[in-house]
Amino acid sequence: MLTKIAGGDIIDPVNGRLGKGDLWIKDDKIVPAPAGGAADRTIEASGCIVMAGAIDIHSHIGGGNVNTARLLLPEQHAAHQLRPAMTPLSNAGWSTFQTGCLYAKMGFTTVVEPAMSPGAALHTHLELADIPIIDKATLAILGNDDFLLSMIRDDAPSTMIEDYVAWTVASTRALGVKVINAGAAAAFKENVRTFSLDDVVPSYGVSSRKIVKTLQAAVDSLGLPHPLHVHCNNLGSPGSADTAAATIAAADGLPLHLAHLQFYGYGTEGKRGFSSAAARLAELVNATPEVTIDIGQVMFGQTVTVSSDVMRQFSARGSAHPKKTVIHDGDGNGGGIVPYSYGKDFYGTMQWAIGLELFLLIDDPWRVFFTTDHPNGAPFTAYPALFELLMSREARAEMTAGLSRSALALSTLAAIDREYTFEEIAIMTRAAPAKLLGLTDRGHLGAGATADIAVYRRDRSIAKMLGQAAYVFKDGDLVVQDGEIIHYRWGKALRLKPPVDKAMVRRLEDYHQQRYGLSLDWFNFPDSAIAREQPFGEVPCRT
Amino acid sequence: MAVAWIGNREALIERAAAHAASLLSSSRCPVFSFDTDIDGTRAAIALAERAGAAYDHADGAALARETALFTDKGAMTVAPGETRRRADVVVIVGELPRIHHGLVGELAGTVPDLSTVNQRAFFVVGPNGMSVPPLNGGREATRLSCGQASLAATLAALRAQYKGRRTSQPVSNFNDFAKALAAARFPVFLFSGHAAEGLALEMLQGLIADLNRKSRASGLHLPANENGWGSTLASAWMTGFPLRTGFARGFPEFDPWRCDVARMIAAGEADLHLRISAATAQPKEKKRRMALIVLTKTEKPVAGAAVTIAIGEAGVDHDAVVYSSRTGSLRSTEAQAASQLPSAATIIRLIATHAFAEPLPC
Repeated sequence: MLTKIAGGDIIDPVNGRLGKGDLWIKDDKIVPAPAGGAADRTIEASGCIVMAGAIDIHSHIGGGNVNTARLLLPEQHAAHQLRPAMTPLSNAGWSTFQTGCLYAKMGFTTVVEPAMSPGAALHTHLELADIPIIDKATLAILGNDDFLLSMIRDDAPSTMIEDYVAWTVASTRALGVKVINAGAAAAFKENVRTFSLDDVVPSYGVSSRKIVKTLQAAVDSLGLPHPLHVHCNNLGSPGSADTAAATIAAADGLPLHLAHLQFYGYGTEGKRGFSSAAARLAELVNATPEVTIDIGQVMFGQTVTVSSDVMRQFSARGSAHPKKTVIHDGDGNGGGIVPYSYGKDFYGTMQWAIGLELFLLIDDPWRVFFTTDHPNGAPFTAYPALFELLMSREARAEMTAGLSRSALALSTLAAIDREYTFEEIAIMTRAAPAKLLGLTDRGHLGAGATADIAVYRRDRSIAKMLGQAAYVFKDGDLVVQDGEIIHYRWGKALRLKPPVDKAMVRRLEDYHQQRYGLSLDWFNFPDSAIAREQPFGEVPCRT
Repeated sequence: MAVAWIGNREALIERAAAHAASLLSSSRCPVFSFDTDIDGTRAAIALAERAGAAYDHADGAALARETALFTDKGAMTVAPGETRRRADVVVIVGELPRIHHGLVGELAGTVPDLSTVNQRAFFVVGPNGMSVPPLNGGREATRLSCGQASLAATLAALRAQYKGRRTSQPVSNFNDFAKALAAARFPVFLFSGHAAEGLALEMLQGLIADLNRKSRASGLHLPANENGWGSTLASAWMTGFPLRTGFARGFPEFDPWRCDVARMIAAGEADLHLRISAATAQPKEKKRRMALIVLTKTEKPVAGAAVTIAIGEAGVDHDAVVYSSRTGSLRSTEAQAASQLPSAATIIRLIATHAFAEPLPC
């Protein structure tokens, strides 16, 4: 079917296309305007902005820890009452079914679950398969697992480590690799309670820095498109900016992505010993071109923190609201679930301001990514309000009126005039994520691209405009009209398929037999286990 | 071989499914109970949404106690693999389901390779006479009990003594336990809702939290029913809620009392019961005003059922994804003896095609 999106304001930074024009779709692809071709369907888009479907690179939407959070917090559903109607299970609260619908309504068409425990890969993919409409992807967690730590301790050759990383990515159907507080979960099992970049994991004699550098090199050498995705040490601690700065410096010329930098933007100034170090970190990011970051913006209200940084979550148990938590020591990282309410007090205001400072002080929209670290900083349903804050200094000024003055006094936010443009939003939420993840088929509106398209009707309220798309196409299917889901479909999980070394498979089989008394078969699964047609889409590695 | 019956009469599977669908469509308070794999659970919950049904595990009471630990209190837990590799003290808390006895025996036959303490000590908490899983090599677990006091009371006494408080009745062998804990690097408590009441599970978590103030400890959750825990996980991701959720008002509501399917049947609230389990179980009592639809592995109709349809057993007759307490996650299993019997999910979807215009989403 030939579809014409007529007369919209097209914003496609990748192809340099900015301004009024038509966009043509044939089946599931964007195509050049056909010579004299008549459209089977015309979407009138005058007064609308037309962008590629948005991509969220870091949102905890499925897997063991997310599901445990659901179990822990049945009362959390009150926070998820706004929901699309007339789609299967659309009335279900904080569910997979609702997740896909809500993302699609905002014009998001691809979302990455950034923390998949390799041992729970099947569980994670089953959850993702029940998220409708959008495409998904996962990052596999490494860096606290005995197999890797033992290899590093024993000075295993880099090729062997690369073989292990390749096997992990291939067998778990991941799109990349994440390391979470490298070494800390292993150290926590030995009763270590704090862990920094140059601390050493007991029994292995391996530092956190060494783990990060080893994985960074392996990811680069294997040609995985997405650089190593790093959750640094000391998340949430006053002074954690020092850790983030040291990690940025450790990139050392190779690509490195730092997740939710806001949670490390904390200095130790002021009478509370808690201040904004955002300007310092932004300056470092600006000066380090090999580093990309996402923000993990805090927005006010009740949420739940879900993290595989089990040491950090254990230490945060006292701040749980409501007072119940789950702490799990897993085979590698495990995880912790700590519900939390961000108040407009000194600390909440400071965290909110730090996130915005980072957004606004990091110059290059190709290297800063739009996230709330859902649900850790805020549920992704807060995105429309966050877009408004980034694009309107007036909205920021209004918001700050009700916040802690003493916190704002320790922040540079009030002095920042920058407002994101639609072109910068298109880069940060479309073009740059596609580039970062190696998804050449999306993030832009050029001929041949997958027809993932979001059309927004201009409105004085940016939040309203970007919160309810006028039209959304996924793979050429019109799935959203006037902010409502009109077509239900199933997306894919995007994955890499690096070649797997047979000797490594034998080695892992022996390891599992000896250490766990189980065959490797217990952890593998066929694609058919997902019970969806074509559950996966393959993304090529760099050559 | 017949695979479907309407009442006691053989029927084509399509006709039996159509009859089940008509009963479901006319029901005002349907309830589903199941003991099935992940695919079967997903289909059953999707059908429950369409039918406005409440759903529960076929033997939901013990699972409800385990679920309540998470929904009401939270927990510190550890993966089974880490338990095997790290636990230098293993404490069996209460009576464990037989399906987990093999794992306990295996723990007794191995040593923790990630611990500097190259051995495992075993304790068991519970009244004298409580059955204990056999430990390999003829080993015996040291009993921690307060005579015939309940598990919750014994755990409370254990926790109090550990904190140096006085108790009305001392826990047997407490000094041995305290000594083992003092030397332990990673003690693990094995627990289940099988025989432990909610208060006992909560008290155990209090003890684990106390231990973690200065050292490490955790609990290994061994579900009362593996399929049931798998269904709990699938229910959580599909609806946001665990089992004992109902769609009577068009949206999911989790209410462990109101949606207790066994209670709803006993109280006469339900007018239709869809029972999905490869294991055949005759209904305890026939309810005059309740239609019974049974999907089970059978060669004959179930007595009292309006419709019986034969299904295969997950992992035996067909490939399946099930919860494994050996890995602590979902696992894909191949059919051990593949047969032509349809899966529970297949029949549920077939019933749905007769009852509703749109196919189920899963």
